[in-house]
Amino acid sequence: MPNYPRLQSLKEINSVMARYYVQRKLLARLKPLAYVTSGAPVEIVEAMGILTLYPENYGALCGARGAAVDLCQIAEATGYPADLCSYARSHIGAVLQPKDAPLKGMPRPDLLVCCNNICGTVLKWYEALATLYDVPLFILDVPFQRTTPAESHIIAYVTEQLREFIAWLEVHTERRLKPDKFHAVMAHSQEAVSLWQEILEFGQHKPSPINSPDLFVAMAPVVALRGTRQAVDCYRHLKAELEDRVAQSIGAVPGERYRLLWDNIAIWYRLYRFFRPFMDAGACFVADTYTNAWTVELDPEEPLISLARAYTSVFINVDLPTRLRIIADMARRFQVDGMVMHANRSCKPFSITQADVRDRLRDELGLPVLILEADMCDKRLYNEGSVRERVAAFLEML
Amino acid sequence: MQSPIPNPKTEIRSLQSPLGFLTAYVPEALFHAAGFTPMFIFHTPDDRGHARAHLPGFTCWVTDSALDQALAGKLDGLAGMALAQTCDTVQGMTDLWRRNVPDIPLFHFGMPLRLDSTSARTYLLAELQSLRERIQSTTGYPIHDDALQESIALYNRTRALVRRLYARAGDFAPYDFYTLVRAAFQTPKETYNDDLARLLEQPAIPPALGSPGSMPRILPVGSALADPIFFAVLTQAGARVVGDLLDLGERYFAMDAARNGNPLETLADRLLALVPTPTKYHPQRTRAAHLLSLVQTRSADGVIFVRQKFCEPHGFDYVQLSHALDRVGVPHLLVELEQASQAGQLRTRIEAFVEMLTTNQQ
Repeated sequence: MPNYPRLQSLKEINSVMARYYVQRKLLARLKPLAYVTSGAPVEIVEAMGILTLYPENYGALCGARGAAVDLCQIAEATGYPADLCSYARSHIGAVLQPKDAPLKGMPRPDLLVCCNNICGTVLKWYEALATLYDVPLFILDVPFQRTTPAESHIIAYVTEQLREFIAWLEVHTERRLKPDKFHAVMAHSQEAVSLWQEILEFGQHKPSPINSPDLFVAMAPVVALRGTRQAVDCYRHLKAELEDRVAQSIGAVPGERYRLLWDNIAIWYRLYRFFRPFMDAGACFVADTYTNAWTVELDPEEPLISLARAYTSVFINVDLPTRLRIIADMARRFQVDGMVMHANRSCKPFSITQADVRDRLRDELGLPVLILEADMCDKRLYNEGSVRERVAAFLEML
Repeated sequence: MQSPIPNPKTEIRSLQSPLGFLTAYVPEALFHAAGFTPMFIFHTPDDRGHARAHLPGFTCWVTDSALDQALAGKLDGLAGMALAQTCDTVQGMTDLWRRNVPDIPLFHFGMPLRLDSTSARTYLLAELQSLRERIQSTTGYPIHDDALQESIALYNRTRALVRRLYARAGDFAPYDFYTLVRAAFQTPKETYNDDLARLLEQPAIPPALGSPGSMPRILPVGSALADPIFFAVLTQAGARVVGDLLDLGERYFAMDAARNGNPLETLADRLLALVPTPTKYHPQRTRAAHLLSLVQTRSADGVIFVRQKFCEPHGFDYVQLSHALDRVGVPHLLVELEQASQAGQLRTRIEAFVEMLTTNQQ
């Protein structure tokens, strides 16, 4: 079995993220702490010196550590149906029984900030958290972008809510949003997001210096540390390492034979194991739709409107023709030979239109597409034998 | 009690410009004013397998069935389809409908998630105006304010009548009762109003089964009304319904739109004032508080949650509501429905629950 070169920068990212949780636990005694959804405009929160934690990121961590099923069962014992989002069930299980959870759970929040641009499930999840913790909840309602570009009244609504959000944070934390600090955070966020975009584009090289499972690990700072210096540093180092690899023609998968596109959230409990048969067959996932979700552009000169535009137009909040265009464009730019789609029981926004995306890629670009039904955290929905057989058949077809 | 509307299932082709819709937030009166006859596309038990080629296996049957019916040609003749923004599945359906049912124009209505803020009201008004313009550009005719006021008055009359029907809910067998409520979504309002008014004029309504006084008083909670199997089992188990918290149930008819003023503002204010479904948020007007108040005012003996499998909003909502009921000691039961729901399995659980409530009464 061949050895695969590991990216050294991922070690740095992993240790930054490990420190991130420890630091938050300590700092939460001194500063207000907000739980935020992954698509929330965290730049405002960050600029006010409020700590943030991401229950979704924690859900992924529970999945990756193999702790999710036990936690889901704790939530299910209190009534949560087993077909609900497994991030939510894992996290709620950890809130109910922190002693059995990774890192002994997350520190108690002072505030909850929920933005529905990634899914409607977060509303219900955060409502549950508001009841469990009895803390204030802000809902930022970002309407579905049914046509592209977004209609002006949608952007006006989101912009107005951002103003309400700032006022709400000021009331609950007695902190002020200072323009110079906000400007600096927006600039950091923009820099991190731009670096992240450049990192994703490295997949265009042949061989690709990076494989999607690496990106699933590397994405943590752009999700959880957007707007901080740390995220920028992590990505500068990763970018430099990828440049080195390109200069030396080192591929993430030695002897790269096939280039593939991944769709949907990772299967966290099988992160590298799932991809191993692909790597053994010389197949590298050179691009994906999941890590592409944090590539929106911000303009520090027009902060609120640009935040409103950026957070409305995130990948899973836009109309299918636009998403199809993005995916078809990725398939062409990254010169992929096929696509693997994870039909993720826990994520309807990502999964519900997958069959139509498959048909389009197959019919218009002639690409083979494999759809595998599984779940991002709930291992009970992963059929090892069936996945192995279908992956083998797909690789043979390539 | 024999329903005066024996077969509420109206043939699509017999209606004037029939407009299909899903979700509990489509402003029906606006479409009515444009000459459409809005009718809810209820899910049916038959699965022809057409939607399975497009939707993953973990899609609720409400959505799956609507797409299945459309792809099977069962909805041919619809002049349009309307969906309001509610859950992730309906959002996906917006995309899938446009792509796969191109002959039936789709109207998407961006109902805000938040119901409590000034900005939500401003946005909702802009959405109503946008919907009005999109309808006008599809039909080629303007929607005049006068016509809209008339449609609002017609729908207000339906709501007032259905509220009177709800006040007598306990006198009906649940199956008959919900057949009547469901007909409000499938029959032209002009006919429905007259039929229902006639029925309500009858001085006394004979009890459907035995003596209603001894039958447990139930409040169903859930999404749609299209599961006759559930209401049939409830009827056979000897229960009666005294109200509900169904998305298309009592809350849907709860209040009138104001008769005066700007008609779009009237529609917006009504949508914002209703008890939210689980896909919406109002910090003060919570569903748990509303359910507890219903239980108290209707002297309900128990609550049955009727959840469509894979429905996230109602799945989370069940936990919040059932815990609220536990705190005050109100018995409840959760039943999950899907396309292949079998009467036998439902019957055993519902009968046991009703029997337990009957024993509690004694």
